[in-house]
Amino acid sequence: MSGYLTGVLVVLAFNVMAAYAVYLPMAAGQLNLGIAGFMAIGAYASAFLTNEYGWSMWTAIPLGSGLAGLMGIIIGIPVLRTHGIYLAMATFALGQVISAVFLNLEVVGGAAGYPVSDYASPQVVWAAAAGVVVLMLYISRTRFALCLTAVKSDATVADLLGVSVRGMQVAAFALGAAVAGFGGGLYAHHYNFVEAQHFNVLLSVFTVLYVLFGGTQTVWGPLVGAAFFTLVPELLRASDQWRYAVFAAFIILFMAVRPQGLVTTSLMTLFRRRRVTP
Amino acid sequence: MLAQQIVNGLMLGAIYMLVAVAFTLAIGVLNFLNFSLPGLFMVGGMVSFGMMKLGWPWFLAFAVALLAAALISLLVERLAYRRMQGGDPEVPLVSSLGFLVLLENLVLIQYGSDQQAFPALLPDMNFRIGGLVIGMAQVLSLAVSLALVFWLSRFLKATNAGRRIRTVAESRETALLMGIDISRLVPQLFVASALLAAFAGILFAVNYQQVSPFMGEGVGFKGVAAMIVGGMGSIWGAVLGGLLIGLAEVLSISFIGADMVNITVYGLLLLILIVRPQGLLGRPASREKL
Amino acid sequence: MSAALSISGLSKSFAGVRAIRDLSFEVPKGRTTALIGPNGAGKTTVFNMVSGVYGVDAGRITVNGTDVTHMPSRRRISTGVARSFQNIRLMSHLSVLENLLVGQHVRASSLAALLTPYRLIPNHRWKREARAALAESGLEAYADETVGALPYGVRKRIDLVRATLAGASVLMLDEPAAGLNPSETNALRDHLRALAAKGVTLLVVEHDMHFVDSICENVVVLNFGEKIAEGPLSVVRRDPKVREAYIGTDGED
Ligand SMILES: Nc1ncnc2c1ncn2[C@@H]1O[C@H](COP(=O)(O)OP(=O)(O)O)[C@@H](O)[C@H]1O
Ligand SMILES: [Mg+2]
Repeated sequence: MSGYLTGVLVVLAFNVMAAYAVYLPMAAGQLNLGIAGFMAIGAYASAFLTNEYGWSMWTAIPLGSGLAGLMGIIIGIPVLRTHGIYLAMATFALGQVISAVFLNLEVVGGAAGYPVSDYASPQVVWAAAAGVVVLMLYISRTRFALCLTAVKSDATVADLLGVSVRGMQVAAFALGAAVAGFGGGLYAHHYNFVEAQHFNVLLSVFTVLYVLFGGTQTVWGPLVGAAFFTLVPELLRASDQWRYAVFAAFIILFMAVRPQGLVTTSLMTLFRRRRVTP
Repeated sequence: MLAQQIVNGLMLGAIYMLVAVAFTLAIGVLNFLNFSLPGLFMVGGMVSFGMMKLGWPWFLAFAVALLAAALISLLVERLAYRRMQGGDPEVPLVSSLGFLVLLENLVLIQYGSDQQAFPALLPDMNFRIGGLVIGMAQVLSLAVSLALVFWLSRFLKATNAGRRIRTVAESRETALLMGIDISRLVPQLFVASALLAAFAGILFAVNYQQVSPFMGEGVGFKGVAAMIVGGMGSIWGAVLGGLLIGLAEVLSISFIGADMVNITVYGLLLLILIVRPQGLLGRPASREKL
Repeated sequence: MSAALSISGLSKSFAGVRAIRDLSFEVPKGRTTALIGPNGAGKTTVFNMVSGVYGVDAGRITVNGTDVTHMPSRRRISTGVARSFQNIRLMSHLSVLENLLVGQHVRASSLAALLTPYRLIPNHRWKREARAALAESGLEAYADETVGALPYGVRKRIDLVRATLAGASVLMLDEPAAGLNPSETNALRDHLRALAAKGVTLLVVEHDMHFVDSICENVVVLNFGEKIAEGPLSVVRRDPKVREAYIGTDGED
């Protein structure tokens, strides 16, 4: 495989993981605009463990992911008291604060960045992304996922039916944070370098953008969205200068025509019916 | 030193304030977090720059910039907002972000990604009051911003159009019952918020004498923060929030360090959202009726 | 005779307007009771207080002997009281079956239940149970349809089926017959009778007096948030206070 293609596919794997980190809380109706902050936690925590304590990345990355998840719970509990746009803004602020904290944290290099010793090969990154997708497919088949959708579509009624709305929201938020931390940890170990500036607002915002673009009605949406956002700009490379402009224009027009995103429930039903009726 | 920084903070706050008011019009009345506004802020600065580079006088350059922002905003209304009715509330967010990216990249193609020096329009004149040095441009922009906000607030209170806007903000249903033509009001609001954002961009350019395709991002996000700190939908909240954020930024740069700005500004935002989600001057949301 | 639902001294004001005033009544176990009264009398508000959507200003609510007055709304369904909604509150993006599965939640909320990939298991017992409940109301054809697209009468009955799936011993139904055509109303009547035969206690808000007459042993009449009469419908409807309350709104008989 050419180095170029490998590089693109690795980026795709990272984008897929980020997409699911955004998707989980969104399935419960929460817009997390601070996903980059949780990636940063996973990246820095795991890098710190491999660098300073000589841990292997196989244990450091899961721990970093767990730590991001834990932060998701601790921060999620007060932050998730807010709703709608307030929640979006709270997570947005949260992402900014987290990455600014790392920017000022001298033990992990501060603004100069932080080199990482252990290396995660492209194969490892791909396997990890595949693992995340499988996990998400599994979750989407459970009652937990059903509860998340119920909370999203009518939290008042879900509550009256006995669903712990706050519990589900915090769980989805924290799980998303853990997935983000997992992706962040791998990112640090694949590129062998972390810098706080990478985990900025635009990373969070773009991730949300392609999840919504892919569609949030089904578990496939984020995957398709991430693939589209990673691959299409690459294909547009010929018109180098124009590619982002063209791409943005495309998104605007697409969302105007199909606001529910690319992959929808009815689209999936169509697929399934095709399969049964020969 | 402290007094000087407070003055500088208020000047920067005036710019955030205008952006926050632009956001608050869109959120309070249309319930739309319009992320194209930072793009329109940039259009205000960059189009003025471009026209003046072509040799146009400043007032015509400004007029063209404002006009461009208004027209783009109408396009945003068509393609991002009008489509959201009935859909997921996040969708217009995506499309309006799409506009931000589009505008930035179009300007980038035209002028490159570097910072550009914006010509000094006002004589480099400083007032000295006590030990304070206050720039001419600063005073002028603070005065103009405040005047604009005063006018807007009076407009909303005292005119028929303003009352209609406030009715829509209170409840769409009531507005419809009262026979208010929302479909005519909405584009007007888009134009108004675009003009505010673009005007803030022009003020920024005049004040700091630099522009770039990405000048809208930092200011835009802080404008959103200011709006929320003050209380969404409240004009005076946006004013208070803008000034507070401006102060917090300037004071933390000079007393804690430039890298700490995001921690103070967004930490303040986060704190307010947790402790008082409705913001300083906003009203809390009421529980729904079954 | 013990009470399945007991309300005593209940009061509630909205912005100073008193919607419920010192209301007390009991719903006996295993019986069907109607809560009637003109529009705005406060019937839905009573449901909202029992299910915990609104807090009470004063008074006490007991379900099957458990005081629920200050219990968080989420936990009340596990004391055995479930409800339907006057303006149908189904999750419109979900399928009928999924709505019913949410209705079962109170009986399947352990961590193990939450993490069971029931969608991967053909004929999982939750799905079987939900389909069976649908079949009982003759609605099985709609199981996989998305709720949002279904006709009003169908959605109204699905809202009821969802409430029954909580396995509650007390069901509060808010205008279950409103908007149904005569044949749907008959099906609903059979359904409610079947529930009653299984021992479920019903509290029904309904405007159709023939319907009330055909299923309820007892009625409680509200007007302006106050109880103005209570007893068998045949007796209550002769009560001058009740007749006055209904003048112009329900001049039948
Ligand atoms: N959330 C609320 N806010 C303000 N007033 C309310 C609210 N809920 C109910 N009310 C008022 O309480 C009274 C009783 O309403 P409701 O219980 O819906 O009547 P019913 O169901 O008997 O027709 C009405 O005057 C209604 O306007
Ligand atoms: Mg009612």
